[in-house]
Amino acid sequence: MKLARFGLLACAAFAGVALGQQARAETVHMTVSYYSAATGPYFEKMAAEFHAANPGIDVKIDVVNWDGLLQKLRTDISGGTNPDISIIGTRWLLDFVKDDIAEPLDGYMNADFKDRFIGPFLKPAIIDGKAYGLPIAASARAMYYNKDMLTKAGFPNGPATWDDVATAAEKLKAMKEPGFGLMAKGTEVDVYWYYALWSYGGDVVSPDLKAAFASPAGVQALTMYKSFVDKGLTEDGPTNYTREDLQNLFKQGRVSMVITAPFLINQIAKEAPKLDYGIVPVPKGTTSSTYAVTDSVVMFKNSKVKPAAWKFLDFLFTKEPRVEFTKGEGFLPTTKAEATDPYFTNNERLKVFVDLLPTAHFAPTVTGWEDTAKAVTDAVQSVYLDKAQPDAALKQAAARADESLGK
Amino acid sequence: MSAAVGGSRRRAIPLAPWLLILPSLVLALVIIGYPFFEILRLSVSNVSRFGLVRGSAGLSNFATIFGDPIFQNALLRTGTWTFGVVAGTLLASVPVALVLRQPFYGRGLARTIIMLPWAISLAMAAIVWLWSFNADYGMINATLRELGLMQGSVQWMARAETAFPMEIAVGMIVSIPFTVTILLGGLSSIPGDIYEAAAIDGARPWHCFWRLTLPMLGPFINIAVVLNVIHVFNSFPIIWVMTQGGPDNSTHILVTYLYELSFRLGRPGQAAAVSLAMLVIVFGFTALYMRLRNKDPVA
Amino acid sequence: MRRRLLWRSVWSWIVLAPLLLVTLLPFAVMLSTALKPHDEVIAFPPRWLPTHLDWQNFVDMWSAVDFGTGLWNSLVVSLGGTVLTLAVSIPAAYAMSRIMFRGKDTYGQFLLITQMLSPILLVLGLFRMAASIHIGDATLVDTRLAVTIIYAAFQLAFAVWMLASYFTTIPAELEEAAWIDGAGRAQAMLRIFMPLAVPAIAVTGIVTFVACWNEFPVALTMLRDPARLTLPLKVVNLVAGRYSVEWNQVMAATLLATVPVAVVFAALQRYLVQGLTLGAVK
Repeated sequence: MKLARFGLLACAAFAGVALGQQARAETVHMTVSYYSAATGPYFEKMAAEFHAANPGIDVKIDVVNWDGLLQKLRTDISGGTNPDISIIGTRWLLDFVKDDIAEPLDGYMNADFKDRFIGPFLKPAIIDGKAYGLPIAASARAMYYNKDMLTKAGFPNGPATWDDVATAAEKLKAMKEPGFGLMAKGTEVDVYWYYALWSYGGDVVSPDLKAAFASPAGVQALTMYKSFVDKGLTEDGPTNYTREDLQNLFKQGRVSMVITAPFLINQIAKEAPKLDYGIVPVPKGTTSSTYAVTDSVVMFKNSKVKPAAWKFLDFLFTKEPRVEFTKGEGFLPTTKAEATDPYFTNNERLKVFVDLLPTAHFAPTVTGWEDTAKAVTDAVQSVYLDKAQPDAALKQAAARADESLGK
Repeated sequence: MSAAVGGSRRRAIPLAPWLLILPSLVLALVIIGYPFFEILRLSVSNVSRFGLVRGSAGLSNFATIFGDPIFQNALLRTGTWTFGVVAGTLLASVPVALVLRQPFYGRGLARTIIMLPWAISLAMAAIVWLWSFNADYGMINATLRELGLMQGSVQWMARAETAFPMEIAVGMIVSIPFTVTILLGGLSSIPGDIYEAAAIDGARPWHCFWRLTLPMLGPFINIAVVLNVIHVFNSFPIIWVMTQGGPDNSTHILVTYLYELSFRLGRPGQAAAVSLAMLVIVFGFTALYMRLRNKDPVA
Repeated sequence: MRRRLLWRSVWSWIVLAPLLLVTLLPFAVMLSTALKPHDEVIAFPPRWLPTHLDWQNFVDMWSAVDFGTGLWNSLVVSLGGTVLTLAVSIPAAYAMSRIMFRGKDTYGQFLLITQMLSPILLVLGLFRMAASIHIGDATLVDTRLAVTIIYAAFQLAFAVWMLASYFTTIPAELEEAAWIDGAGRAQAMLRIFMPLAVPAIAVTGIVTFVACWNEFPVALTMLRDPARLTLPLKVVNLVAGRYSVEWNQVMAATLLATVPVAVVFAALQRYLVQGLTLGAVK
């Protein structure tokens, strides 16, 4: 009798301890960047689904605007209150690695895991042979053109080279129709010029980490853009237009050509469904090229719940979650599994972007990218505003960039 | 009601006043003192992009900053900005205060409207003005067009030549309510009988203003200038929201450049150096101004 | 006499007209844009009047921005900041206006210097300070308490100045009479001085409240969780760094966040003028 009761008590105690173990949930904090109104709900949904399958792990999502993301992360890290995992721009990754803040992820991956990804997208996050980030969002850039306008200008299938762009814009100008959209305000002013730089065979950073954009190709590209501005082939006052502004103009038919990312497709479908437009690769100069961008998820070294955080990441990078995310945001698939989904294989418009990937330039993994971006942005702005000549402006920007590159 | 000057007891009671000011002193010292010393430390250190301090940098941060052409231009521009906004505000506020001082029909309504900008968050006001100045969809261009004053669109924020004056104008608009309030307070402290005396002596309105009103407003103008200079010098949201200091750094003032250095370019050490430079400048100005005018603005 | 008043009214309004127009312009823009349906916001050429009044924008905005939460948070930090500011400023102002003590001028100058340090300069240090104070599992970061304390520290210089200048207009003789009658110093202060000081305290409180309500950089650095963001943060979030901005919602939010405070504040501005009178300079 006593033995039985003792046994019962022991069982109860044991059960209590076991339940207690389970009740002590781990919390994983994740910071995500705001891409659209769908971003927050998507991650909340994923957190809920994951929690249902893993009751011991709670995931908390924090949505932050891009504008403030790096700043918030910097402030948090310096205060020791950073999240466990976060989305970052891959171009920032090297800074994180150099300051020993990012956790190398190879140890968590089994052989199959790496294989899930489409090669070129994983590469930028591999530093010194170790993978520090997982590509969560990817896009490339292409030229959107207004079919009505461009047909009137004699290019029903869109411009193929920069000469075509110039010719079309001049014809449109003569007809008092809007021409080429050039953005020179806000973020990615430098990138908008890199499209031209790369199409003339130039590059931003040389293999030995020096500024390489002040080359003849660079001068040619910048001179060309400047001539567009001077001849009135672009919208008036480019330094007043951010990418968002240009996209608004395009949706309204007030600019006929603009270079941007796949998510504009979703926007046009929602806001300007009657717009007749096409997508072609970035105009060719001497060569064909585009800009591909990834955002990565990183894990922080000081996280106390690394295995749990990794489990969530593993979940996020399976087929269904990926397809839902990429489709909803208008990005390109980063894993092979998603790419097989009929939504992507049957999508004519997205196909243009995907086909560009083999010749795409990624932002180089190098420290001092922000300083370089600012130096180049200042230079091209001063040229568009007629305050400097392309040659001199680029040389000055290169000198400024060299002070930070690779340091 | 005549001015009750004084009320200060000459009896020195050592402990009581210190106890009374102690809470405020402690609060200010802790909350403001700690970050201040932090800034001092950062300015002479090598700080990584993530705010991790890696050893001493001596005065190299300062050297880099003072040699930076963007800093130098921002310094000059801050002078223009501060002078423009404060002088403009004062020039606009004096007549407004004079008008509001006398009763007239609907004066309460007019005063209420003029006070409105004081109640808006600077950041939000800047957003609304940015939207209004939008070249394509903003109401300013729309209205100018409808009034027939303009044909095309003015790209207000595209160049510093148009953007900066507009930013100064916005700065003035948000500073006027506060300045008008101070001046009204000053005007109402001037006893009316001196005007009657002057009228008897045959003085004309312009003389009254110049010789009587203005000098008696002096102390109030001083306070308005000092407080406005401090606030305007440090005023961040207007320029940052409208042009982010661009294009090509042509609208940067010290505080916006400081922000960019610290949070966009990841150079906290240099940002700290700029903060200290700013503090020295403002402090120097205030001390100089107070000495020149020989008045202590604090009660 | 009435004719003079009429004449003066006319030209007063004429002189003030430019300023009034410029002051009202942002509000008109806010109202006009807030009531436009989405596709008219970026219609070209833009018009002042929408084709129909889209009051739905306000409803949509309320849930999209979680306006109610922002409103509550703003109220909490503003009220808290104001109460704390007054609590430390009233005694200090009393001392400044009534008592000559050694170090009084130094204290006054110290207060002025605290005004010279823009929050932008200090936010990083404030953040680190908050991050080093642990409460249970978390730190002081992302708490409204921290924000409230910081607001009080930044506001107290102006509050002391305002209160002190008002207090000097309250004759000390009344309290002295009470001392002669045998009342203790503290008693005299509470029973005679305070009732007279109420208008000054009210006005200073309102100014402080408005300043806290509108504050941006400190809140931006300290608050993260959407459940704790104040209104200015929520509004700016709608604009900063978005791929696509819903201007009609932004304007609706700005309008709702601003107008109530503006109306209360502006209606009480008359007392404000009285509060800043005199004693501002001895």
